[in-house]
Amino acid sequence: MAVIDNTDRSTAPEKASPGWFESVPTAAWALAAIMLIMPLLANDFILFQVFGWTFILGMIALSLMFLAGYGGMVSLIQMSVAALGGYMVAIFGTSGMTDISIGLPWWVFIPIAIVVATIFGTIVGALAVRTEGIYTIMITLAIASAFFYFTRQNYAIFNGYSGFNLIVPPQLFGVDWRSPMPFYYLTLVCAVLSYLLVVYVSRSPFGLALQGIRDNPRRMAALGYNVTAHRIAAYAFASAIASVGGILLVWQNAQISPGTAGIPAVIDILVIAVIGGIGRPIGPFIGALIYVLLRTFSPDVLTTFGMSGERFKLLIGLGFLALVFWSPDGVLGMWDRWKARRARRADPLTGETET
Amino acid sequence: MSALAVTEPAGRLESVSTGSALELRGITKMFGALAAIADVTMTVQSGERRAVLGSNGAGKTTLFNCVTGDFLPTSGTIRLFGEDVTTFPAHERVRRGLRRTYQISLLFGGLTVADNVYLACRGVSRGRFSLLRPRRGDPLLHRAEELIDAVNLSESAGTLVAELSYGQQRQLEIALALAGAPRLILFDEPAAGLSPTERAELIRILTSLPGHIGYVIIEHDMDVALRVAESVTMMHNGRVFKEGTPEEIENDPEVQALYLGGGHG
Amino acid sequence: MPVFFEKHPIWSLLIAIVVAVVLWLIFAPWPPGLVEVLGRKRVFLNATFGGITLGALYFLVASGFTLIFGLMRNVNLAHGSLYLLGGYIGFEVSEATGSWLIAFPVVFVIVAVLGMLLQHQVFRRMEGEELRQTMVTIGLSVVLADLMLWWWGGQSYTIYSPDWLSGPVTLPIVSTVRESGDIIYLRYPAVRIAILVAAIALGVGMWLLLNRTRLGMLIRAGVDDREMLAASGVRIQYVFLAVFAFGAGLAGIAGIVGGTFQSLSPGEDTRFLLASLVVVIVGGMGSIPGAAIGALVIGLSEQLGLVYAPTYSVVFTFLIMAGVLAFRPQGLLGRTR
Repeated sequence: MAVIDNTDRSTAPEKASPGWFESVPTAAWALAAIMLIMPLLANDFILFQVFGWTFILGMIALSLMFLAGYGGMVSLIQMSVAALGGYMVAIFGTSGMTDISIGLPWWVFIPIAIVVATIFGTIVGALAVRTEGIYTIMITLAIASAFFYFTRQNYAIFNGYSGFNLIVPPQLFGVDWRSPMPFYYLTLVCAVLSYLLVVYVSRSPFGLALQGIRDNPRRMAALGYNVTAHRIAAYAFASAIASVGGILLVWQNAQISPGTAGIPAVIDILVIAVIGGIGRPIGPFIGALIYVLLRTFSPDVLTTFGMSGERFKLLIGLGFLALVFWSPDGVLGMWDRWKARRARRADPLTGETET
Repeated sequence: MSALAVTEPAGRLESVSTGSALELRGITKMFGALAAIADVTMTVQSGERRAVLGSNGAGKTTLFNCVTGDFLPTSGTIRLFGEDVTTFPAHERVRRGLRRTYQISLLFGGLTVADNVYLACRGVSRGRFSLLRPRRGDPLLHRAEELIDAVNLSESAGTLVAELSYGQQRQLEIALALAGAPRLILFDEPAAGLSPTERAELIRILTSLPGHIGYVIIEHDMDVALRVAESVTMMHNGRVFKEGTPEEIENDPEVQALYLGGGHG
Repeated sequence: MPVFFEKHPIWSLLIAIVVAVVLWLIFAPWPPGLVEVLGRKRVFLNATFGGITLGALYFLVASGFTLIFGLMRNVNLAHGSLYLLGGYIGFEVSEATGSWLIAFPVVFVIVAVLGMLLQHQVFRRMEGEELRQTMVTIGLSVVLADLMLWWWGGQSYTIYSPDWLSGPVTLPIVSTVRESGDIIYLRYPAVRIAILVAAIALGVGMWLLLNRTRLGMLIRAGVDDREMLAASGVRIQYVFLAVFAFGAGLAGIAGIVGGTFQSLSPGEDTRFLLASLVVVIVGGMGSIPGAAIGALVIGLSEQLGLVYAPTYSVVFTFLIMAGVLAFRPQGLLGRTR
């Protein structure tokens, strides 16, 4: 614990301005400290496979959470947007497919990737917001699958079935960003920044308006808001976050193919966001961690119980069903209720709780 | 302009023209083969307070929906402050100074009272798409506080709207309609479901509105309607049936036979 | 229909011209110039008929989907799983009994009962929570897909059609005219013709059911205005159960059909779910004639696209969908809400 406390104090001044410093709960500081010293605690596999992947999936799911939790639009296109960002990195950067890859420097292809993916997500949003509510799922799922089949059939740009391989992050400052520790910090920083961005924007006029539209689009129009434009802008914002996630994803896997944004992957993002809790920006990351842990370790657990390790999907599906049944607001909702129950049981005089 | 307008950030107030606030010419709205309103023509002057009366199904709320742009009328033209807005989307009409309240509270239940009113103030000003949080000295935050004060909700400013009582929600409805620089407000049965005390409070709020704000009010409670209106339009079966001052309407034998019955006076 | 002609004279004219051109392309012998542009007529005819048959299959799957959606606002994303499950069970039944026909009623009943169970045990408990219902169907599709993979494995299955349906029939449509002057007529697999006829019969039957019976009247009323139906004192739960059972059963039967003229393997569930989505988006949510038109359009565009622009056949489907969304978001025959 002493180590954690020290880190806590040493990192605090550079990360926080005094205004909101006090408002951040102690638990969050402790979490931040643990995240920062994680490379001391965990091995390379945990850093790269478990945490790297958690942060990446968490970011993509975060973009869904932004649309669904604040905008009331459950979009299944986010994984495709991320994958398109990844594809752009492969096409405009370097990859094993030298016939297609252009080989531009990183400071050109990263902005291109983000912009192209964001434009794509915005166009899909513009189509999806023409209808309301439950239709959004159908339309975005249909477009996501069209994207999948298109990338699989198109060889000129997307190199069809096999996609691209040997895509690695640029060697900046002499660091191999794909080795576990640098990659861990890279994804951590991106995830934290996108998380803070979403938290910040949620209280900005744009974020508030989006929540207003979620609660009551008709009234928002009657207050002078262009509801359609706001919704489309929300897609643009979310797509930008998803595209960063997609770039990191392609670096982690070192390859990208149509399956990256296949229907199971698209559904997984929704599952992750819902498992974690779609109401708050931290939810997707919790969901991603649970998903990645299950995905990584369930084969071992399943074999111990004498089942085939392939039944991982069954486990995820059943867990998802159970959550939707008993706690539609995800693990976070369960946590909230548990805390509320504990608070009720607490001794009214001392404020202490029994355990 | 009045005190209420002075505190406004740059609105579109400067373009105020004298003359009519709302001009309806031959408005008809069909739902399938059914005419909810038929050939409604009426003019509301700037600053005028008008009550629209009529039994259920007389087409009053449909008329509001056409004026605000929730529905497009099947035929007819709508002019707002002299400008033809018949085909404008709802938010464009709001930016020209039109506001409304709803019969059933349409509020943002997942946000606090303060956020609701802040959104309403932001809706007609610049920076609707701003990604930056409002700074502490933001005039709109200040304006929102004033409005919350004006409808007696200061103590609930931080409460989620879903947790407000019914009467409080009705008060918040009015605060939302007062945000920005309204020039014409459509009140859709603001007194429905209110207790006698809350009704008195409502009448106080309505009658103390600055003189340049006109309104059209749909109200079943004749006590409220006739006390806050200068002129009255009676509707029946989707058509304008009578127009006049509150006294004229109250004493009109046809109106009495049709609507007031023995219930009033 | 006459109302449509009066209201949209230009559209009616365009549709009439397209229909005329298609009919001419199908029935008339092609002049050499056209053959140069489009290739041999046989190829075109095969693609067209393939498209129509595929459309018939899509219609079988999508009509249940659209009915369930229209009435209960339940986007049943497990619909594709019901299709695949129906196909697998149909395979087992026809293998065990040796009868292709027996598989149909058996599968219909089994999958319909499963559908009723879902409606009664799951969806009824979360009525009005559209998003949660949809989530449940997603979870179900994941679980069902893995259970089916567990049981039937990753290989693909084909259901064999009975002898009396195998082999081609000759249609009275000119395929090619030889230089000698002999006329070659189009030959086409009998089983596909049977599927087409069955789908049309089913579509007409559903239309009659919806427009001529009391149950149909209730369902249509519910699609238009659920609150009204609920308020009218009808035991709406029974209507829901019936529709869910029927829609699920149809998907199951479609599985047998799909397993007969294509094949069954993991992944087919999502493929047919997506086909249903696109068909319903194009045709209009909750509309049976819309599903028919949407299925035909999508089936044709897929097959013709596959022949004439293999790389971009998906793009056609997508462009049709995007175009409909952009200009008529409620779908071709959908109602504005």
